[in-house]
Amino acid sequence: MSLLEIQDLVQHFPIAGSKSVVRAVNEVSFSLEKGETLALVGESGSGKTTIGRCVLGLIRPTAGRISFRGIDLGGSKTVRSPDLRGKLQLVFQEPTESLNPRQRVFEQIDEPLRALKVPRPDREKKVREAARRVGLAEALLDRYPAEVSMGLQQRVGIARAMISDPEVVVLDEPTSALDPTARAEIIDLLIRIQRDLGTAYLFISHDLSAVRHISHRIAVLYLGKIVEQGPSATLFAQPSHPYSVALLSSVLLPNPRIRSGSSIRLSGEIPSPINLPPACYLAGRCPLAIEPCRSAMPPVETVAPNHDVRCYRHGEVAGLVPDFDSFARFQSEADRILSAGVPAL
Amino acid sequence: MATTSAKTSDDNEPAAILACRNVSVEFPQYGAAASVALRDVSLNLRAGEVLGLVGESGSGKTMLARAIMRLVPPPGEIAKGSIHFDGKNLAELDQESLRKIRGRDIAMIISNPRGELDPLQTVGQQIASVLRHHLDLDRKVARDRALDLLKQVSIPDPQRRLDAYPHELSGGMAQRVVIAIALACSPRFIISDDATSGLDVTVQAQVLELIRSLVSERGTSMMFITRDIGITAHYCDRIAIIYAGEIMEIAERAVFFDDPQHPYTVLLLAAFAQNERLRRYWLGEDKARENSGPSPVGCSFQNRCVRVRERCRTDHPALIERQPGHLVRCHYPVERS
Repeated sequence: MSLLEIQDLVQHFPIAGSKSVVRAVNEVSFSLEKGETLALVGESGSGKTTIGRCVLGLIRPTAGRISFRGIDLGGSKTVRSPDLRGKLQLVFQEPTESLNPRQRVFEQIDEPLRALKVPRPDREKKVREAARRVGLAEALLDRYPAEVSMGLQQRVGIARAMISDPEVVVLDEPTSALDPTARAEIIDLLIRIQRDLGTAYLFISHDLSAVRHISHRIAVLYLGKIVEQGPSATLFAQPSHPYSVALLSSVLLPNPRIRSGSSIRLSGEIPSPINLPPACYLAGRCPLAIEPCRSAMPPVETVAPNHDVRCYRHGEVAGLVPDFDSFARFQSEADRILSAGVPAL
Repeated sequence: MATTSAKTSDDNEPAAILACRNVSVEFPQYGAAASVALRDVSLNLRAGEVLGLVGESGSGKTMLARAIMRLVPPPGEIAKGSIHFDGKNLAELDQESLRKIRGRDIAMIISNPRGELDPLQTVGQQIASVLRHHLDLDRKVARDRALDLLKQVSIPDPQRRLDAYPHELSGGMAQRVVIAIALACSPRFIISDDATSGLDVTVQAQVLELIRSLVSERGTSMMFITRDIGITAHYCDRIAIIYAGEIMEIAERAVFFDDPQHPYTVLLLAAFAQNERLRRYWLGEDKARENSGPSPVGCSFQNRCVRVRERCRTDHPALIERQPGHLVRCHYPVERS
């Protein structure tokens, strides 16, 4: 039994004054184990945030099943049930907007504990411990969010999420509003917390460098459908869906000699989730599209253990990119450049 | 204490299209010393060159663009320095002459294309109005030109898009329209301020390719402002790093990425690294964090520098040319044998 299991999740949003619906999430299934990070990657409109909101019980899915510790969350039990409260938590994208500007840092971190009715003396101790865990100096607890940098604000957001000892934390683009160095620090912090506490992360992001660093498994979403899912290392080294390839090759690493320059170039932009393409959603943009791609949705095929792809031509895609891991090549060069001036062990 | 920046090697190079000399932008504060947004920035842009300007939020990168356009928001002002473009000192030019230059000789592409476009005018009208203002074209000719520009920025179905309103366009498409407006009068110099940051990654890749090919076709010079050092490795000829309103390092692309010498540059690169030990060294050990902003005395980067020493606390480092064309502002630059 997985810690969190999502089965055939569907989320449609009605449009006021119209019969059409926004098909945000279309039959998505995945699972999350204890202490594991699953990254949901995709561009805007791919449904990744909506999935996160469904998992947290913030919206009621149109169809599908979400179970946590084997308990179905759709029925009599919900995330709000007393024994499940605080066990699923959320870290937001914009630290500035997700913190209360009129509350001191201490009160913000303390808030979940107040909601859980934890006695006051315990709360004080726990808040200080949480602040220490996320690397916030004691002195900052008395400050207002506007008085600290964005990176520190996001640490407050993380401390607030971790204080109720959650088992699953949904991280919704926690780094995309931050400057690159703050971004790296937050990723390192999240990894350390997971190592210490065994928390499972659902990491929603389009920052693939961060995804590679933090995640164990990756699910690639396109228009609310998982087009490829597999272990992080495999996906980066051997992506098998044209969309995954396009996504990976658009990452620009800071080394002019390393360019993933793949042979798969998508044309145009992501279609509207109101009028989904009839068969494979990518067919209109994909240079490899053939007749079947336009007439029937490709089935999910398992190409390697735990590696699933939804593409008729996945074999050819894999052949096109024999050694895709520009990230690995980048790392060996980066190590050489970064080693200068670093004291030897 | 020496705060004047060192002379750059290409000081007298005739091919420079834009030359900033010791540009400082200050915001006067009531009852306190002025806050300094840009401090002695000296930069040259050669004809046809794409210069990447990398900095984090608040580093002054947008302020430099605004200083060049003479659009520093009041009460901020260019306190000193000169900005020579085409034989004229932009820092001293009157508004009337500036209006003739902006949009015609110097154009700007900004992020948030939807905010940039007028929601009540069609795309065609907006492109045409720039053409009519600067080139004095009549309605018909301007419209034909606008259509031509939409084709150049690879907008699908350009004829129909000409009469579209901004809200009918996707983000990527709107950004292409903004690029078309920037290119309309064939400017010799374009400033791109975080132009692709709001776009999805696959669309960003398309737009970057487009910008790069358009400027190299036309021999336009460009200042490419971004937070993302990764982009500059692939789309810029030379890279400058700005921190707290100062240029910290500048070099040709190949040299810059092969031999970065300022600890801040290395820190920016370390953010991409996987190696635990190197990452921990450059990003700093796990210590409780307080605000560590730029320092007004000594080196501005001292509070975040892992290599900080006594001298950095008191002495403000100058921008020194360490190798031809490679300038670094650091007392103890990173050295590679």
